[in-house]
Amino acid sequence: MINLTINGQEKAVEVDPATPILWVVRENLEMNGTKFGCGIAQCGACTVHLDGQPVRSCSTPISQAEGKSITTIEGIADEDGTLSKVQQAWIDVQVPQCGYCQSGQIMSATALLTKNPSPTDAQIDAAMAGNVCRCGMYGRIRQAIKIAAGIEQPTTKETIA
Amino acid sequence: MTIARALPLLSLILLAACSADPVPGPTEQIIVREPGDAAVETAVATPEADPELALIAAGKAAFANCSACHAIVADAANGVGPTLYGMIGKPAGAVDGFAYSDALNASGIIWTAAELDAFIANPAAKIPGTTMVAGALAEPEQRRAVIAYIESLSAS
Amino acid sequence: MSDAETMADSPKKKGKWTRRAFIGAGVVAGGALVVGVAVRPGNPIDRLSPMLANGQDEQLLNAWVKVGADNVVTAVIPHVEMGQGVYTALAQMLADEMDADWATVRILEAPADKKYVSDSIGRDFLFPDLEVPEIFEPTVAGGILELAQAMGLQFTGGSFSVRATGQRAMRTAGAAAREMLIAAAASEWNVPATEITTENSMLSHAKSGKSEPFAKFATAAAEQSLPAKPKLKSPENYKLMGKPLARHDIPEKVDGSAVFGIDANVPGMKYAAVKAAPVVGATVASMDASAAKAMPGVLQILNMGDFVAVVADGYWQAQQALNTIDTQYSKTEGDDLNLDGLFARYDSYLNDAGDDGGDIETEEGDVADAFVRATTKVEAEYKVPFLAHATMEPMNCTAWVRDGKCDVWSGHQAPVNARQAAADAAGLDFEDVTYHNAYLGGGFGRRSEKDNIEMAVRIAKATGYPVKMIWSREEDTMQDHYRPSATSRFQGGLDADGKAVSWSNIHTHLFDPQEAPTVPYYNIANHKIRKVDVPTHLRFGPWRSVDHSQHGFFIESFVDEMAHAAGKDGYAFRRELLAGSDRHLKILDLAAKMSGWDQPLPEKHGRGIAFVPSFGSIIAQVAEVDMSGAKPKVKKIYVAADAGFVVNPDGFIAQMESAIVYGLTATLYGEISIKNGAVQQSNFHDYQMLRINEMPEVEVQIINGDHKRLGGGGEPGLPPLAPAVTNAIFAATGTRIRELPLSKHSFA
Repeated sequence: MINLTINGQEKAVEVDPATPILWVVRENLEMNGTKFGCGIAQCGACTVHLDGQPVRSCSTPISQAEGKSITTIEGIADEDGTLSKVQQAWIDVQVPQCGYCQSGQIMSATALLTKNPSPTDAQIDAAMAGNVCRCGMYGRIRQAIKIAAGIEQPTTKETIA
Repeated sequence: MTIARALPLLSLILLAACSADPVPGPTEQIIVREPGDAAVETAVATPEADPELALIAAGKAAFANCSACHAIVADAANGVGPTLYGMIGKPAGAVDGFAYSDALNASGIIWTAAELDAFIANPAAKIPGTTMVAGALAEPEQRRAVIAYIESLSAS
Repeated sequence: MSDAETMADSPKKKGKWTRRAFIGAGVVAGGALVVGVAVRPGNPIDRLSPMLANGQDEQLLNAWVKVGADNVVTAVIPHVEMGQGVYTALAQMLADEMDADWATVRILEAPADKKYVSDSIGRDFLFPDLEVPEIFEPTVAGGILELAQAMGLQFTGGSFSVRATGQRAMRTAGAAAREMLIAAAASEWNVPATEITTENSMLSHAKSGKSEPFAKFATAAAEQSLPAKPKLKSPENYKLMGKPLARHDIPEKVDGSAVFGIDANVPGMKYAAVKAAPVVGATVASMDASAAKAMPGVLQILNMGDFVAVVADGYWQAQQALNTIDTQYSKTEGDDLNLDGLFARYDSYLNDAGDDGGDIETEEGDVADAFVRATTKVEAEYKVPFLAHATMEPMNCTAWVRDGKCDVWSGHQAPVNARQAAADAAGLDFEDVTYHNAYLGGGFGRRSEKDNIEMAVRIAKATGYPVKMIWSREEDTMQDHYRPSATSRFQGGLDADGKAVSWSNIHTHLFDPQEAPTVPYYNIANHKIRKVDVPTHLRFGPWRSVDHSQHGFFIESFVDEMAHAAGKDGYAFRRELLAGSDRHLKILDLAAKMSGWDQPLPEKHGRGIAFVPSFGSIIAQVAEVDMSGAKPKVKKIYVAADAGFVVNPDGFIAQMESAIVYGLTATLYGEISIKNGAVQQSNFHDYQMLRINEMPEVEVQIINGDHKRLGGGGEPGLPPLAPAVTNAIFAATGTRIRELPLSKHSFA
């Protein structure tokens, strides 16, 4: 039996301690927002926070989370359902396309802004380079992080020539 | 411009109307148990009396942090990372056939328990430019255990 | 069927039924349910209604729109959402014509049913250039509809959703619904229909001051006959079309609640991990599962002949157990094949074809004569590798086969096709299968295949309980249906003025679209394009922009080489080739202007231009590349696009950005190689993806060149990217890249 806290709730799960956090969250706790992408910590789709630190849940065994606090995409909005600044910026910039990688992107961006409320482009690149987006929304991700940080304001561009 | 091809529609319609080949079932079906049946009791390891063996056992369990990328048997194929078997005492970048980062090759490190401890605590801080992007272990106890386990497979 | 056959056999046909057209023809959707089905006996609404309406208080006005008692207008979208924004764009088109209140419009994906098929895509694929006289429209539509139903397919791809389904079906459906509501209100209020106006889901009559919501007349409207030819708005009256409206699917994609195929949750389901024979066509000769049997959580181990599956309480347990199984495979003819050997085989087929062999695709004038008489002769050979799709969501499918019924959950580009595949795999009738479609975690063509559906159903049939099968990333990479590798050879001739007078090309494979290797938009008097089919054991599949992905690179590289041989600038040379085509020239000029084509660049920097019309859209791109380091750095991509009329500009721009990243990933890194018949790459560490730190700046400008002929958005942004980049590398370094990816080349 492994005791952990997930999105503020205490849970006990009966699993092999070597099981990656990803599969415990998805299958045992039935929270599907965290995604499986590669299984080897190369794509970031599975990113969750462990005591506030972003980790690749596909390659981190649940034993690592014993007695710690896991935060997933389902746990970053306010309790009243108000979206976090990062989530709201993601909507403002219309970041997601297929959306599959976005839970991981948002978790990485959230961790970045917690540690560094005003990141430079290079710092954004460094923090987000572990998250792959096959729909290629990197430009929008960068812009959304700046908007969430208050560095930039949402803009509308004239695009019809 | 002329376009010199046109498949007759009818042949495709007939093709579509053909029923698919019968789809094969299993040629071999091993039923270990039915859902809901109690899982087969797996042997519960008795706690090691020897503290050193206990540390190695703890390290073996904690190696789950590493095993997605690294094997730890002799002559294992390289995965995302190189095999870690027998690495203690060897220079960084020693496993044949693995494409190490330039940074790691140039590091000049000889892997000792202390060097390895610093590396897996924060790979990018110890060797900026390493391609090891995951698997950092924040807790000293866990690092000690994993290193003990790796050492146990280096000495033999 | 007779109409379709007549059409196909008529001398003016450009019948192009290709492999993908075969899929595409099934598609869904169309004004057909208004114009096509309406002329057929029986009222289709009666049969469709139970599938869509969820109670007494909703009225289905036609197959594409329902109105609830709460005055909520729901658009029924016959395509799947894979991030291309199709739910929103199609709903925009319907709601605009209907004058529905956008704030309350809802979206429903059409059920995976054969009744949701129609003419639009089938006809475009079959007769892309055929203008059907309006008077025959119902007949043609009806014929193709029947054809499509016979195929029993449904598909999202080919960048067709907006330009075919949207333009021909959603708008017509919205306009028809509006006219039916007006007719019902006119009757009830006893006023002329022409005096009734509509806005924000309300009907109003100014003279009497009457104003009521759509819902009040929904029941009466549903009893009105379908208007034969509802009047569509002209562009100056568009209220929603052409606006960058926020996408409907985005909110649930930022809080983790969006349900993808892999998120299916069926009570009592178990999990399967699978490993297929590494060489396609091989079978499992023997399997040693002794270790796997003792692994925790394992329920069953299955040798399915072509693959091995482990079913367990959890996916990770299943995968761990699968990793311990020692499997031997049968020998196949593909076992000896390596990538070099395959390219050598391409060469030998191309050599055998010589100057006159192979299949002629297009021919005009006398290429041989023009080439002999040309002042300057240019020859080049290009190569591209196999490419995997690498959707972020690995292939998966959940299935439950029991009591003569089958339920299937996945995210598929062709839900009707998936349902049929499940029926075939389960040995059941189509009607006994319920297919539940979810969001696609990336499609790009990969989710139009049926292999994952069949595998999951076969496993579930063997177990009897519901099973969620998930492919590992390794399996996803190694068992794809790949963009073909290809070799393409060119000969071009220039006259004394440096004008292109002949263009000859022979290449391996032709998949789809058929026009991909052709250059009808370039003024070259003599041209001849041929192909040779070369057998390989690998599976090909449609990959974003399909054959345009390689031919865009081949053609636009060779045009650049001809320009250089003519001593001309690549932009100026293309201007000559496009003389007389105003729409084309506008786009080329816009891209050049955006990029500051004539402005100097720093040393070791270069600009490259490429121009590729595809999927009905005209796109030019200029790439700016920095070659001062060891690796090419793509700094900026300028995109000029004419897609006829862009329904949702922000969504269209997002598609351009997306296609650029997809294309740039392939240009820089993309290569699937073969050793001993098996794919060598397995995961993102050896099949590298573009990441945020390599993202170029992207600037897009749109020209709405023809509001009646819409072009696609999902694919056409890709083909010009690779040649724009390699032409820029040539400009910066003088090195001509004739083989992709760039990671094969050294620039130090």
